[in-house]
Amino acid sequence: MSDALARSEPVLAGHFIGEGVTIALAPPLTRYSLRARQAQALETVLKTKLPKRIGETEAGIACLGPNEWLLRAPAGTTLPMGAGLPLAITEISERSVCLIVEGRRATEVLAAGCPLDLERFAVGRATRTVFETMEIILLRTGEDRFEVEVWRSFAPWLSRALETAARQLLRGK
Amino acid sequence: MSGFRLDRGGRIDRSRPISFSFDGVTYQGFAGDTLASALLANGVKLFGRSFKYHRPRGLLGAGSEEPNALVSVSRGPGRHTPNLRATAVEIYDGLTATSQNRWPSLKTDIGAINDRLGMFLPAGFYNKTFMWPRSFWDKLYEPLIRRAAGLGEAPSEEDPDHYGAVYAHCDLLIVGAGPAGIDAALEASGTSKRIVLIDEQDEPGGGALDDPALWPWLKESLKDLAAAPNVTVLNRTTAFGYYHDNFIGAVERLTDHLTDVGSGSREQLWRIRAGEVILAQGAIERPLVFAGNDVPGVMLASAAKTYLLRHGVAVGRAVALMAAHDSGWRDAFAHARAGVAVTAIIDVRETVAPALTGEAAELGIPVRLGHSVIRVHGRHAVKAITAARNDGTGHARIACDALLMAGGWTPSVHLWSHSKGSLAWSDELGAYVPDRPNEKVRCVGAGSGKWNCGSGLVIDALPTPRDPSRIKAFVDFQNDVTAKDIHLAVREGFKSIEHIKRYTTTGMATDQGKTSNLNGLQIAAQALGRHVTEVGLTTFRPPYTPQTFGALAGHAQGALFQPTRKTCIDGWAEEQGAVFELVAQWRRARYFPLAGEDMLAAVNRECRAVRSSVGIFDASTLGKIEVVGPDAAEFLNRMYTNPWKALEPGRCRYGLLLKEDGFITDDGVSARLAPDRFHLTTTTGGAARVLNMMEDYLQTEWPDLDVWLTSTTEQWAVIALQGPLARKLLEPLVEGIDLSPEVFPHMAIREGTICGVPTRLFRVSFTGELGFEINVPAAYGRALWERLMIAGAAHGITPYGTEAMHVLRAEKGFIIVGQDTDGTVTPYDAGLDWAVGKKKPDFVGKRSLARPDIAALGRKQLVGLLTDDPAVVLEEGSQIVADPTQSIPMKMIGHVTSAYWSEALGRSIALALVAGGQGRMGEVLHIPTPGQTFTATVSPMVFYDPQGERLNV
Amino acid sequence: MRRPPPLWRTEMLLIHCPYCEEQRAEIEFAYAGEAHIARPPDPAALSDEDWTQYLFIRSNPRGRHHERWRHTHGCGRFFNAVRDTATDKFEVTYKAGELRR
Repeated sequence: MSDALARSEPVLAGHFIGEGVTIALAPPLTRYSLRARQAQALETVLKTKLPKRIGETEAGIACLGPNEWLLRAPAGTTLPMGAGLPLAITEISERSVCLIVEGRRATEVLAAGCPLDLERFAVGRATRTVFETMEIILLRTGEDRFEVEVWRSFAPWLSRALETAARQLLRGK
Repeated sequence: MSGFRLDRGGRIDRSRPISFSFDGVTYQGFAGDTLASALLANGVKLFGRSFKYHRPRGLLGAGSEEPNALVSVSRGPGRHTPNLRATAVEIYDGLTATSQNRWPSLKTDIGAINDRLGMFLPAGFYNKTFMWPRSFWDKLYEPLIRRAAGLGEAPSEEDPDHYGAVYAHCDLLIVGAGPAGIDAALEASGTSKRIVLIDEQDEPGGGALDDPALWPWLKESLKDLAAAPNVTVLNRTTAFGYYHDNFIGAVERLTDHLTDVGSGSREQLWRIRAGEVILAQGAIERPLVFAGNDVPGVMLASAAKTYLLRHGVAVGRAVALMAAHDSGWRDAFAHARAGVAVTAIIDVRETVAPALTGEAAELGIPVRLGHSVIRVHGRHAVKAITAARNDGTGHARIACDALLMAGGWTPSVHLWSHSKGSLAWSDELGAYVPDRPNEKVRCVGAGSGKWNCGSGLVIDALPTPRDPSRIKAFVDFQNDVTAKDIHLAVREGFKSIEHIKRYTTTGMATDQGKTSNLNGLQIAAQALGRHVTEVGLTTFRPPYTPQTFGALAGHAQGALFQPTRKTCIDGWAEEQGAVFELVAQWRRARYFPLAGEDMLAAVNRECRAVRSSVGIFDASTLGKIEVVGPDAAEFLNRMYTNPWKALEPGRCRYGLLLKEDGFITDDGVSARLAPDRFHLTTTTGGAARVLNMMEDYLQTEWPDLDVWLTSTTEQWAVIALQGPLARKLLEPLVEGIDLSPEVFPHMAIREGTICGVPTRLFRVSFTGELGFEINVPAAYGRALWERLMIAGAAHGITPYGTEAMHVLRAEKGFIIVGQDTDGTVTPYDAGLDWAVGKKKPDFVGKRSLARPDIAALGRKQLVGLLTDDPAVVLEEGSQIVADPTQSIPMKMIGHVTSAYWSEALGRSIALALVAGGQGRMGEVLHIPTPGQTFTATVSPMVFYDPQGERLNV
Repeated sequence: MRRPPPLWRTEMLLIHCPYCEEQRAEIEFAYAGEAHIARPPDPAALSDEDWTQYLFIRSNPRGRHHERWRHTHGCGRFFNAVRDTATDKFEVTYKAGELRR
């Protein structure tokens, strides 16, 4: 066997640095979609707590819907598959990439295309939403820090749109 | 006074002169001037030509309601904006503006002949005259009319500007930063509310900008608002539309007033969601309707006051006033106090408040009560007016070079009406005022109708002793609608104001009837002999003022127009010089031409490689859904036409998906990974639709099933290796999977690793050859592809694109849903009877397959078609007839869905939907095309290796 | 090529998602037809007329309308709503499977 296969990413890993905001590609992550009627079924298999309210996160797990959670963990993490149980654990590590939008003007950049009231989107919240016509999962991981999960093939468009919005901030307000 | 500029006063900055040009002449203005005020100061009175009669027109207003003074501004290639109101264009050094709708010049306009021919151009003229003959319309009448009656010219170059867009959320949005809007903002600024105050002008203040007494208050208030952290004030921002649930669209103009536009956005679209809205849009003064009310120099009294007090410009050296309302008197007094001669105040009312006449006497202004202007002398500018008593007697000629009109006030209820708030008629104001709200919104200030603008007489048209059929008393200045046009419309039987509007075009132009609607309505009511409230009111619709397409498009231009989805292997294909095509939003490599190859040569070579050695194909765009849970097989069994429960783990099955109406909606090969886990594939374009459909059934019809769906389309890169050497190429690269045909047969799946990366390896074929589809996590797709290219070099590996893929599948008679089907094709029509589980009691669409019209004979069925001339490749979409000698229009019995040159067969092949096609085997059909009719013989759909022996290797 | 929807057209309404328990912009949702039309448990038992009725015939009222929406770009759930087709106003939204309001 020759050398291990190298990863390729849909957008450049470098940072975009604008006035009051940076946009960067997050390092690779392990991602799982977790589904069950009740959180408890998954908690038993995964031996970890799940957030119960839609939009909340707990220990890297975001509750996206009444029976849907997104687990994000360091690359290489593996999960039991829960074979035969009334639940679904599906690996989606490479389905999306994560763009980190950070800085005091991060909300302004995201508001260019996201219809949520970001000023009232508390730290720790996560939800599926859109940026213009494109579906994203938005996580607020700090007062000035958002993580944007976007399907791989949409990432070039989204990073370009975010950078365009960030450049428009340069004119100041 | 130099020219018409006053020596002092106004908000302009006399220390900052600005140079600009209008129709090629250079003028000077000052910072704070609009194009209108700066030209007025230079003595310019003629601003444009009217739409229909090409009459000379000057300024009517001073704000965004202006109907006459439409200009074009050009600032370099692609930056040409027509139909701007001169009253809303801020001047900057180098501004280049031109008038519109005139030829050869503004002063001498040939089209003005229409004015002389006015009696031949009544309301509805175009509708009546250019009806016949019909064939003349497209080629003669319409182009002529359009050339003669243009409103500015559309730019021909691409717009180089960027337009931003943003969402904003606030608790209180205030539209209009006049005194009422500012008061509302100040009042709320002490709360914790997030407040946005927007105003269309270059500085906040609204009506206060015309009133020097209010300037100290204004300055103080704006300072307080600027200091309030919860208040955002947006100037040069027009709220153009008020939509459901307090969603307001607004456009902020960022660079149109600057000499150097810089690199930022030209405009920004604000999409504002407000908890509460306060509309403080003010009111617009109404013109009066009398002969000659459109001669340049006749304007709204309030506009004259704005030019006087805000811009320091007198609209004339001797002005007269025609009033039906008190407010005009005060505007005339302001002129007198500023040193402008007021030669007459004429009021149609017999009596007015003594305070007014007293003040006029003090200022030495002659007053005529119970009089009306019956004639305006001058064509390009007012020279004098003739007034008469309301009974027609006592004609008097009065010299003046400007005539102010004061017809009362119309509250601006446009946005209120967008929000579906109801209106109530006010007899006192002669206008509709906001009544019951439909959203969380209220109106304040003059826009609410509750502000005291003074009293006045509501009048439809001024009395005149002249023959009303021989005078032009304008109602709608921009669209050249006169009072007699409305009377004519009523005489011809139009009774609804909506019909009168469309017949006469009153209120229909870019100003949306801001100055004309109420006068038109009252004239129509008078002509119909009904109260205005019985005549109805036309609907106000967005936009409040015209907006650029750029602002509405926002981000969606250029590279951001819409996303182009690319697979992880796309970059490699691009480096190889692949030719691409768009499939749904995906960009896919269509073929990989070598030097000197055209498409056919490349595709033939790619097809030969697959049939003789091995081809490699990027199938990553295939939709993928992971179906997991104890009821996964039960769920798929209900969704797909064929049985799924007995499928063993490690095996694949072709799935056919119908909609409940029985028609094919998608297909794909799916694999059972474990008893409770399936890996589904869908068509590239169907991925989102199929997942939505399955979620629908799962969530709402069968919520009892324990099964969950996850899109994995982008989790996996898919590389298809197809051809007799595929296994030989793959064997040394795979670990943990025995590729030998005995243990890994066709339509099977195995999990293991390839080049050290986990893989789901399918043994499937969309080509009829031995084939594998290698699924690896998407991040490794590119590297694996390159590794396969190196390893395959010895085997003659050849990348192929979607075109060869189409040829190869057509040779095998495999359908493409959406190409060979069109949403009316059942499995039976498509020859896929074998894929329907007839013993299954139910599946989605099953009941519909027994509907009488679907069981009927003669339905269009998918068949093969072999042209009699093997070199002819039919055009996809060509219609098919049974008898080419019949007369036109011929009876068409079907159409060609797919047609290719088959390199393997050395001839063309085609698939077609033909009525009763499966019963026509061997029949010769005809395909008429321009210039030639082809003949073809109906055949089975599988053209190549019908026994499927090539798979069993 | 399909045109993207205009930026200011498809997102006017605020819709209360009964699962997320908050109001979100219309652009996150997809309309999914009339509500409370259950798929017959045994379609084969239906006459052609009854099947046609189920498949194609909708009430299309002016006024109060029971309809389905999906919070596609949110929690992903289908839910039911009562909306006035004349005013576009939502009266109430409720979870799938709950009784008709």
